[in-house]
Amino acid sequence: MPASAREDRRPVLSRIDFAMRILWGLLGLLAGVYWVHQVLRGEDYERQAENNRLRKVPVTAPRGFILDRNGVVLAENEPSFTLLLYRRETKDLDASLRFVADLFNRPLDELKRRVERDRSYYDFVPVVLQENLTIAEVGAVQARALEHPELLVQKTQRRVYTQGSIAAHLLGQLGEATAEQVAARAKAHPGDESIPRPGEAIGQQGVEASYQDLLAGVSGSRTYVIDSFGREVGESGHVDPLPGNTLQLTIDAGLQQLAEDYFAGKVGSAVALDPKTGEILALVSAPAYDPNLFTRRVTRAEWEGILTDPNHPLNNRVLQNVYSPGSTWKPFMAYAILKHGIDPKERVFCPGGLTFYGRPFRCHGTHGSVDLATALQVSCDSYFYTMGKRLGIDAIAEAAKLFGFGRPTGIDLAHEKSGIVPSSEWSVAARKHPWYAGETISVAIGQGPVLVSALQLARALCGIANADGALPTPHLFHIGENVRTSERFVYRPAVTESVPWAGLARDVILDGLWRVVNQPGGTAYTSAHVAGLDLCGKTGSVQVVAQKEARKGHFLPEQLRDHGWFIGFAPKDDPQIVVAVFAEHGEHGNTAAAPLAAKMAEYWVTKRRASPPPVIAQAGTAPARGAN
Amino acid sequence: MSRLAEVLPRRIDLRLLFLAIALTAIGIVMVVSTTAGSPRADLAGKQALFAVLGLIAAGVFLAVDYRILLQYSPGLYGLTLLVLLYLPIFGKRIAGAKSWIKIGGGFQLQPSEFARISIALLLAWILENDDRPILKTRTLGAIAAAVGVPVFLVLLQPDLGVALTYMPFVVAALFFGGLKARWWAILIVAGSLAIGGSWFLLKDYQKDRIRTFLDPNLAARGAGYQVRQARIAIGSGGILGKGWKQGTQSRLGFLPVRHTDFIFAALAEEWGFAGVAVLFGIYGFLIARALAIARDARDRGGSMLVLLLIVNIAGQFFVNVSMNVGVLPTTGITLPFLSYGGSSLVATWCMVGLILSVAYRRYVNV
Repeated sequence: MPASAREDRRPVLSRIDFAMRILWGLLGLLAGVYWVHQVLRGEDYERQAENNRLRKVPVTAPRGFILDRNGVVLAENEPSFTLLLYRRETKDLDASLRFVADLFNRPLDELKRRVERDRSYYDFVPVVLQENLTIAEVGAVQARALEHPELLVQKTQRRVYTQGSIAAHLLGQLGEATAEQVAARAKAHPGDESIPRPGEAIGQQGVEASYQDLLAGVSGSRTYVIDSFGREVGESGHVDPLPGNTLQLTIDAGLQQLAEDYFAGKVGSAVALDPKTGEILALVSAPAYDPNLFTRRVTRAEWEGILTDPNHPLNNRVLQNVYSPGSTWKPFMAYAILKHGIDPKERVFCPGGLTFYGRPFRCHGTHGSVDLATALQVSCDSYFYTMGKRLGIDAIAEAAKLFGFGRPTGIDLAHEKSGIVPSSEWSVAARKHPWYAGETISVAIGQGPVLVSALQLARALCGIANADGALPTPHLFHIGENVRTSERFVYRPAVTESVPWAGLARDVILDGLWRVVNQPGGTAYTSAHVAGLDLCGKTGSVQVVAQKEARKGHFLPEQLRDHGWFIGFAPKDDPQIVVAVFAEHGEHGNTAAAPLAAKMAEYWVTKRRASPPPVIAQAGTAPARGAN
Repeated sequence: MSRLAEVLPRRIDLRLLFLAIALTAIGIVMVVSTTAGSPRADLAGKQALFAVLGLIAAGVFLAVDYRILLQYSPGLYGLTLLVLLYLPIFGKRIAGAKSWIKIGGGFQLQPSEFARISIALLLAWILENDDRPILKTRTLGAIAAAVGVPVFLVLLQPDLGVALTYMPFVVAALFFGGLKARWWAILIVAGSLAIGGSWFLLKDYQKDRIRTFLDPNLAARGAGYQVRQARIAIGSGGILGKGWKQGTQSRLGFLPVRHTDFIFAALAEEWGFAGVAVLFGIYGFLIARALAIARDARDRGGSMLVLLLIVNIAGQFFVNVSMNVGVLPTTGITLPFLSYGGSSLVATWCMVGLILSVAYRRYVNV
């Protein structure tokens, strides 16, 4: 080769040597890059690879049943199917949502909002797209599983309230945990694995909310191995859920039913307590609603219907509505009178009304000369006007506060109203003007600014019914039971408050209240007297016309009728039950409210005589109550 | 024959041969791992068949004197251009590109892979005819044309990945042929401008690849997905790896095109940094051995041929391995010897045959 002969090979050789150095240099550099990723950051990538390959599907714990005090099931579960979306496995979110929208006939925007709402969570947290799928819908989703591996039908359990609308308000209902609730609980229980996931149903009202933690149990999980298409190719482990505790309430389903039947088609509320323990035997608010609506799919129309109902069926009237107590205030006035040192035998003459501060105050009858017991029996306003003026507002307020008015009773349900116990101090603070002496006259018969709830009245009456004046804390929790260990725990809040009766003639008040129901001339004698029951009580009517409705000018006859009250307890000497009944626009307490109270008392006292309460060992710790 | 049996082992470069066989074997093992249990489980067997074909092809190239091939290189090159010209016009579109010719039995031939051989031969022939320390300007033009025309034709298919594998030829020809510093400066500036300018010629998916190369977390499910998943595969391999057929990223399909472009990530996942280091070692020694053969070659044509071929293989190796770990954008360049692909493997073995041929004829008196 002639070319080779002339060639100076040195430049080429030195370039080859240079290339050799570049080769090893580059290899070293690349090895360094692989070292960084595989050795230095290996664990981090390993975690990412695990996240890739494993799909953790939450398994919701079966929620604890809710029973009445005798074991009647009020809430249980039934199988149900939930559609979940795994965003990490979603290739085309729009296509997935369109599929779901078509299948369930839902607006696409609504689904998009739902996914958008949960965007802040990790992408391996599934989004609940649809609850309570029918078998046909489950089939439709599973038929397209290969196409939509991101959609998963999860078998869960749905809450069923077996008694329909019975006890709806106290049971409450479940609803999807809102982002705020999840965040609040995550903050309150750092590191807790069992905090609800977004979209998961938690108790939103009633005891479902109060005892969320107790009922919910602890969620478990199943971990699947998935491929890059999101298809499950195996199971890698599972954690069994811990089922929730059974919750036995203090409610007696029969008593509850009796009260609910009475209120069919009517508006009002009733609550019955065991005066010794504060156990709530019945708690009725009418109208009610079917809590099953919330665990099934609520249609917009149904929901609007509930929201716009003028009678506000969602309100728990027993503790969330406050009213003037009317004449049911008089027993507590009577205590104030005794406490003030006034002789209960002192008589006041009732000519059918009296004039104070230049203004006439009417009495509903002409009672002649009455003492305290008679004034209670016939509900004489003149007597209480006179005594009220003598006491002054602050003495009345002081006595009222001893009975627990003006503050929550401490019931284990949320959103309890406090009501108002007016005083001169209150007037300045709340109304920015001094107390008018004339208002004291109205407050003396339970009108004017004083506002109480049915629950407060019932609890306050315990302070009279109990010889020691004890004011128990009303509660619904009776017995909890761990379904695994069968360990039972009782919650009975200690009685820490009582009305001091020392040196006061409590028997005079009892006598007056007994005569209301059991002696001719008593305001509830004709409507509520039951031989042998020894029911004591007090009727009340609250004027509506003189209040704001009339001023608004609406002329709706039913709305203008007075409200009727009745509070009572039985039997007189060994009280087993305290009842407060409120009949909205029921006109008179004696006709609209007292008959129910008598029936409830009769039912309960008869039942108790037949089977005295079992003695339950009291556990030391109170159950955890969900923050609300 | 007895003389041949005596002479062959001494004159065939066994080190290079065994290193290449080792890489091919590792490739088959990894194709098994990345396809077993999937509908493509037959690919490992095919790859083994291609390896045998490759060895036979290498034997043919070893037997033929490379000097004869250099003489006929313009003609071979012309034929290659005709085939490359045929494809964009009459070729059947498969997977979006007209890159293949059906040869029956379900097999397809990718001429652009084999074109590398005739391009290398032509370049070696051009460089042999300009043997001064610094290349003539006319030679530079010839080099540019010799590479530029096939690049253009392959881009028409279009197959950016293969077109890019021709680029190391230019670098090798200019570097080993000899270029003034001034020209290097001009080339680097022009090259940068060309890369910048080509942004406007790139297709959207190619732009996406570059964007996501710059930020792999850009879209976990979108274009950055491949880069991210490959890096997870590599990183999660750790020091010793998850074991053969145990790579979750690879076996569960998170790793894209795991038996071809990303086979190295699969290897890194299953064999860890230890496997990576071993493979780097084998590749390093193979390239170094080829460089030594080029140094010892009998003539400039042989030297240049070996240098062009080994830089081509090394270039693909470095780009593919960098791309797997996300140091370079995803380009569709396969890993020589390891990636599944008949044309690529057979063509690579033809190149090994040529290098062995140069080594075989290193003594003037043959």
